[in-house]
Amino acid sequence: MFRSDRDAPRLSRRQVMRLASAGAIGASASGWIETLAASAAADPKRRKSCILLWMTGGPSQTDTFDPKPGHSHGGPFKAIETAAPGVRISEHLPKLAAQMKDIAIIRSMSTKEGDHGRATFNLRTGYQPQGPIHYPTLGSLVSKEFEDESAELPGFVSISPYRAFNPAAFSAGFLGPKYAPLIVGERGVLGGAGGTNISLKVDDMAPPSDVDLSRADARLGLRDALAKDFLASRPGVSPLSHQDAYQRAVKMMRSAAARAFELEEEPAPVRDAYGRNAFGQGCLLARRLVERGVPFIEVTLSAADGSMAFGWDTHQRNFDAVEKLSQVLDPAWSTLMTDLRSRGLLDSTLIVWMGEFGRTPKINKDAGRDHFPAAWTTVLAGGGIKGGRAIGDTGADGMTVKDRPVSVPDLLATVCQALGIDPATQNVSDVGRPIRIVDPKAKPIEEVIG
Amino acid sequence: MRDHRTWIAIGVACLALPRPGDAPAADAARKPVEVPRATRDARALAATIDRLLAEKWAEARVIPAGPADDGEYLRRVSLDLVGKIPTAADAREVIEDLSPDKRSRLVEKLLDSPAYTARATEIWRQLLLPEADTEGQARFAAPAFEAWLRKKVIDEVGYDKMVREILTARLGARATAPANPNARPEPSPAAFYTAKEGKPENLAAGASRVFLGVRLECAQCHNHPFARWKREEFWGLAAFFAGVQRQGPEDGYGSVREVANRHELAIPGTEKIVKAAFLEGPPPVWKAKAEPREVLADWITSPKNPYFARAAVNRVWARFFGTGLVDPVDDMGGDNLPSHPALLDELARQFVEHDYELKYLIRAITATRAYGLTSALDRPEPTPPFLFSAMSVRGLSAGQLFSSLAQATGFRDGAEGSMTDVGPRGRFLELFANRDEKPTEAQTSILQALTLMNGQIVTGATSLEVGDTLAAVAEAPYLDTAGRVEELFLAALTRKPRPDESALMVGYIEKAAPDDRSKALADVFWAILNGPEFKHNH
Repeated sequence: MFRSDRDAPRLSRRQVMRLASAGAIGASASGWIETLAASAAADPKRRKSCILLWMTGGPSQTDTFDPKPGHSHGGPFKAIETAAPGVRISEHLPKLAAQMKDIAIIRSMSTKEGDHGRATFNLRTGYQPQGPIHYPTLGSLVSKEFEDESAELPGFVSISPYRAFNPAAFSAGFLGPKYAPLIVGERGVLGGAGGTNISLKVDDMAPPSDVDLSRADARLGLRDALAKDFLASRPGVSPLSHQDAYQRAVKMMRSAAARAFELEEEPAPVRDAYGRNAFGQGCLLARRLVERGVPFIEVTLSAADGSMAFGWDTHQRNFDAVEKLSQVLDPAWSTLMTDLRSRGLLDSTLIVWMGEFGRTPKINKDAGRDHFPAAWTTVLAGGGIKGGRAIGDTGADGMTVKDRPVSVPDLLATVCQALGIDPATQNVSDVGRPIRIVDPKAKPIEEVIG
Repeated sequence: MRDHRTWIAIGVACLALPRPGDAPAADAARKPVEVPRATRDARALAATIDRLLAEKWAEARVIPAGPADDGEYLRRVSLDLVGKIPTAADAREVIEDLSPDKRSRLVEKLLDSPAYTARATEIWRQLLLPEADTEGQARFAAPAFEAWLRKKVIDEVGYDKMVREILTARLGARATAPANPNARPEPSPAAFYTAKEGKPENLAAGASRVFLGVRLECAQCHNHPFARWKREEFWGLAAFFAGVQRQGPEDGYGSVREVANRHELAIPGTEKIVKAAFLEGPPPVWKAKAEPREVLADWITSPKNPYFARAAVNRVWARFFGTGLVDPVDDMGGDNLPSHPALLDELARQFVEHDYELKYLIRAITATRAYGLTSALDRPEPTPPFLFSAMSVRGLSAGQLFSSLAQATGFRDGAEGSMTDVGPRGRFLELFANRDEKPTEAQTSILQALTLMNGQIVTGATSLEVGDTLAAVAEAPYLDTAGRVEELFLAALTRKPRPDESALMVGYIEKAAPDDRSKALADVFWAILNGPEFKHNH
């Protein structure tokens, strides 16, 4: 008579929500305060973490990780030897060259989108933007798989993102705001990065100065007293999610883990080593978040002093811009790796370096390089992958993939496997259809998975 | 100065409803005194809705929830029709008004207000151009589209005519995005095409989803064994847009133009040529000079089209009840049957009969018993939402939340947004954007909670120096503590506090030293604004 099945998934979701916030309703103010979580590295059951280094605008593979010395496409940069025999990279990445044993270069990315917005969506979600389905970004997918209800910090932190090319590519999509990134240090459409005035603090993390702890507790107590009756008489998904978000927000505000954002705690030489710029300090923050068990952090490099507004989108004066960006990238990323290694966290932390596409091997009349999805490079490091190697080959001129083409789903499936996530895991989308984390046609790059 | 603020926040009801005994107000002179046909017909439709819903309640042995009280109804209908909560003065006025027809007069007042135009424009824009919430390119084109919509709303153009204008929009003039983004845009529905990247397949998928409530996307790539439409039928619909092309650089804001009179295209990646064809019914008749998009518009907006009016009324229904008669609303047909087939048919029939007029549907829906039920549960488990036996609890949209916060607190957004700085409202809307999430399943993020707890707007609202409402309530000489608490409840929740709530809040305030009582009152306001009741339309 009635389609009772029609309501089944909704009810079960509501029940899940209710479980998630069990004990929440009517909690006393003192119940908000939590103790510090155990140290992450020592935990033998520790899950892996992932740090995505996102290169806004599409970095030039030829001038970074797939040099073509001696060819007219090669440009002025020299190729240097690395710690991995036979693998050579740009002279402007010397510190990364020294760590090549823990780095795998994928030189045979072969994708189809040459438009910033569509390609950004494609690389960051694994799918093409299509119709009504709001695909979640990688960070949301991973943070859902590694969800920990007892965590003090959100499972996905995005540091200084530049979202203008495609805001949807940075969202939790159909997974919902629970898996949305906690964003810090966001760069405005025209705002520059770099400079010394870098804030990577969470917005609105603290009450105004005239509200001390006891007054804040009193406010929360009044709030809970009012909320109790509403939640009891209107127990829907939306009110329960509201309550859940407040609890998690207060937990974070009061947590010891929130000290992750206090970069001043770090010794000055450490901060200097990462680089006193948004990306460098972002990588330092990423390390501090990994130490506190956050499963997914992304750090965006969208500008360096003197480079163009769109970071790696070097249609003109490519070589000046890439040199400057490399001088930001190299110390930050390499210090991140040494720092994680010295803390015993490098093997459990996968680092992914990518942009939305590569750039034309042929140099244009403005000494620039244009969009090039046909044959380009991404990089994996740490996380127990097999480093010291380069996958694929783009030939002498860099124009085509000669060997081992890698698609976007192939890359993301590799990331999932390296993290210990089954890429075939399904989520229920906003159109009611189950959707796998990665398209089932994907073939992980077995050569790099440890 | 303070007197003026007191006046604004709580004082005399400057927007009060005319009482039955009052002399006819100025706006009554614009309208005939007798009940207009539209109102009469809307009441008749409301009675039909009541009857059909009650039949299902009996069948399912469900006793519907009790009626919403006036405060609950006022808050709901204000959020639904003008996108924000009412003022404390309006709330008091309605709650204390004893006349029997006050709800229908309230609906008419809201429908006549400028805020209704803004709200209806927003609703249509979200429906017809959802991409503008998320995609840069569509966002650039949205102002012209909104300007066009606003004009249609003001002129009360029927839905069929609006859709026809979209489907037959003139393309191929110069750029669809203005050269100067701060210039006042020329009203145009062409953004529909820009947002779909000028691609026939995107246009077909979007048009069928929005106008017909039918999802065809899956048929784009392959034939699914159980799907109703096959790949060729999808591309047949897309072929009506075969001439549409995007110009300009691959990554630029290219305009969209059209090659005239093209009505076939090749399925990408195949040799197969498909001719323009409707999803159902006899094939198109190609009169001389008939443009394909006009032929398609004739079919889509025809009163005989089995999907068009049903899809529209179903979406409007879902707007007001949180759940469609067919749900999800863009997946009608196939296995997804309506909960009340006769009701859906009747709504569609009457909608066509009444020239596809949105206000007619609104008048009918807001006069139903179901719309006037309370959302509070009087039993351990909720009844299934598709019985409509209690009002659903819906999360406020970003726009509703911002406008309601401004209404409740007296916050004024001084800075207008610009290209480089979207201003407080723009940042707020971006943070709270909920895309086309179902409002009954709205979720809240940690950053949203932090913003409401510690952010600029609520911090200002709970400061005596900045918060207009709070300052006025705190300093009104004629109010005692209980009266101040009551004003804050009315301003934010459109209701008076229950005795236990009042006792708790008054006790908290009076426990403070006399000099700190205003601060304690601020804490009460903070607690109200941060509670789930404020964040929901219930």
